[in-house]
Amino acid sequence: MANKTDDKTLNILLFLCNWGAHAAFLTLQDQLRPIPHEIRMVRVPCAGRIDRAMLLKAFAQGADGVALVGCEPGTCRYGSGSANSLQNTDDVQRILDIMGLGRERLCFGAFLPEESEELLSFLQNFADEINVLGPAGIEAVPVISALNADDLHQELRQLVAAYDIHACQDCGKCTSACPLALIGKPFSPRAIASAVITGGIHSPGVQENVWSCLTCGLCYDRCPSAVNFPAFIKELRHLYRHTALPGQEVHGGFFHSLMRSMSSAAITPRRWGGLPDEIRTDPESPILFFGGCAPYYDIFFGKHSRPQTNKILIDSLRLLNFFDVAPRLLTDERCCGHDLLWSGDKKNFERLARINVERLNGLGIETVITTCPECYMTLHTTYADEGLELKFKVVHLYDFLEEQLDKGAVDFEPFDQVITFQDSCRLGRLEGKVDLPRKLLKRLQPARFVEMKEAAGASICCGNCAWTGCDGYSKALQVRRLEQAHATGSDLLVTSCPKCQLHLACAMEDPFRREQLEIELMDLTSIIAQTIRWKG
Amino acid sequence: MSQPVQQSQTEIIVTGFGGQGIILAGRILGMAASLGDKKESTLVQAYGPESRGGACNAQVIISNTPIHYPYVNTPDILIAMSQAGYDKFVTALADDSVLLIDEDLVRLQQAPCDHFAIPATRMAENLGNKMMANIIMLGFCTAVTGAVSSRAAQVTIADSVPRGTSERNIEAFGKGFDYGLSTLKGRRKVAAGQAGALAS
Ligand code: SF4
Ligand code: SF4
Ligand code: SF4
Repeated sequence: MANKTDDKTLNILLFLCNWGAHAAFLTLQDQLRPIPHEIRMVRVPCAGRIDRAMLLKAFAQGADGVALVGCEPGTCRYGSGSANSLQNTDDVQRILDIMGLGRERLCFGAFLPEESEELLSFLQNFADEINVLGPAGIEAVPVISALNADDLHQELRQLVAAYDIHACQDCGKCTSACPLALIGKPFSPRAIASAVITGGIHSPGVQENVWSCLTCGLCYDRCPSAVNFPAFIKELRHLYRHTALPGQEVHGGFFHSLMRSMSSAAITPRRWGGLPDEIRTDPESPILFFGGCAPYYDIFFGKHSRPQTNKILIDSLRLLNFFDVAPRLLTDERCCGHDLLWSGDKKNFERLARINVERLNGLGIETVITTCPECYMTLHTTYADEGLELKFKVVHLYDFLEEQLDKGAVDFEPFDQVITFQDSCRLGRLEGKVDLPRKLLKRLQPARFVEMKEAAGASICCGNCAWTGCDGYSKALQVRRLEQAHATGSDLLVTSCPKCQLHLACAMEDPFRREQLEIELMDLTSIIAQTIRWKG
Repeated sequence: MSQPVQQSQTEIIVTGFGGQGIILAGRILGMAASLGDKKESTLVQAYGPESRGGACNAQVIISNTPIHYPYVNTPDILIAMSQAGYDKFVTALADDSVLLIDEDLVRLQQAPCDHFAIPATRMAENLGNKMMANIIMLGFCTAVTGAVSSRAAQVTIADSVPRGTSERNIEAFGKGFDYGLSTLKGRRKVAAGQAGALAS
């Protein structure tokens, strides 16, 4: 699908089922019926096979409207195609609403072979509607220039120097700490580093492994020469984008399309709809709460489990209200861009980061509070590292809570569960806040708090970062983590990052081991919100 | 003819055991009132036979008119930092008195009046010096009762504590003060039916 050219014609992409509906479309073509000229048809084996990632990708690549046309329920050649299409359409419509594109830009229709006239008026109505709505506003993806071999070599040399990869003493401490290596994957940070030095990014074993690294920072933590391997990996991924080699994006690249779309200035997201009535916010407040991508996650993963990551944001607001802060919310809040940067899409990250910083700086606020560890790290540290100047402080909700709780006169209701804690790599190792969540945990009144075998600075990862390279080894890693959680005798695994919750819940879906692996998951913020009490 | 001055007198007893800085706390209250807040004040220190390690107390009166009798019979405020001290003075309290206790050191049976609790000694230990519990208690008392102004209390503390420790003592005062404000806020919230963060 091409991005828009400068003629004013809008792009409407039509995914058309090969079977019933395509026959109707053929009739229209044979009879030279006036099919709207904005429509570009893609013939597909079954409308149900057009998953949510593909639907969203169409928009990310420049469609102004997308029509998914299949067969009437009950006439699907494969049985479940129509139902799938309806579900996928509904999910993506909800996502489009929050992104600010609006659900009207995606529609589903079902037609029998003989219903060509019905199909025609459906397409005409849709084209009219899209013409009224106008362009969706998603800009072309900035073209990443392909590097020739010399330039690539040059860039690589600079990276090796910048990250001091030559300082590696070949001691192997990184590999012996790396959770992927320990789970049995033929993977070694040290070996990747030396392969890159000697053979460049195309040497064997480098390319697939670069996308597998969790960027969890354990190796960096252990390295006696302070080789910052995760940051090096981040840059290597960026280099790959200059070659024709794609990254290993999971879930069909759904989240990457979502984030890329948000880097277009012309779209205006519509966040924070449907907040509970009792939440107090204040559009004039000098304190802004930055939510993050949880609402998108809950819609996307709602198909499999019942994730509750948006609840973390609502509970954060409740806690701010509890301490008499009615924060400002950004109704056009975008993604922070963390996953773009960490999956090598630096161009779009930079574009998004600049939009975010300009928007936030323009508000005249003093403080941004956030709960998401990735938003925190990106806003607090990465933006500044990328040379952007923030005119406000970035504070993690836990720091705010700890400061308030330290003033006293607040209690926690006891609850009858044994708890253990999954560290977030961003908050813990990368931002150095390993003790902070523990201070809060110690204030709670569970039956008991037991640390896992590998905890705090040594904690192992939830199994994925930036939605790339998830594979069987990631699953094995998660299973090990869940087993560690069970070994503590806990019945509640407390998390501090929405993604830890999603990825660990994903591993529990294993149909053969569900019983052994299952454990209740709950975010620390939500537990605090549930049990905190004024002493009075 | 001048307007009759509104008579307002606050009578305070600070009690605990020797070594807690009970007398110093009383003296700071009195000095803050007279030097900082420009009121009248008196201080009576009780060194009974009990004084060495046993119970001791300071009786402070703060008034905006001259004080004729410096002993406290019915305290408006009782600050109790030991069980013995509490037991001794609890019967002197009136219905409208205010009782402040160190919650780890004093067990209340049935408080005869409105009362507020703070783990002052524990907080002082967390600050690294158990000896500052009295200053934390002063901050708490200042926030909860408003007997002296926070500004006057801080200036007086800075002048009264050993050289080089004033910063840490002011910090301790701040901790107690914040705890007091928090406690008052908590009371308002609980009274308004908003004890927790979730809608009930
Ligand atoms: S821990 Fe550091 S020095 Fe040791 S092998 Fe790994 S990168 Fe090299
Ligand atoms: S960042 Fe984590 S996953 Fe990547 S090499 Fe280091 S320890 Fe292994
Ligand atoms: S762990 Fe599950 S949710 Fe996470 S990236 Fe892998 S497949 Fe997706």
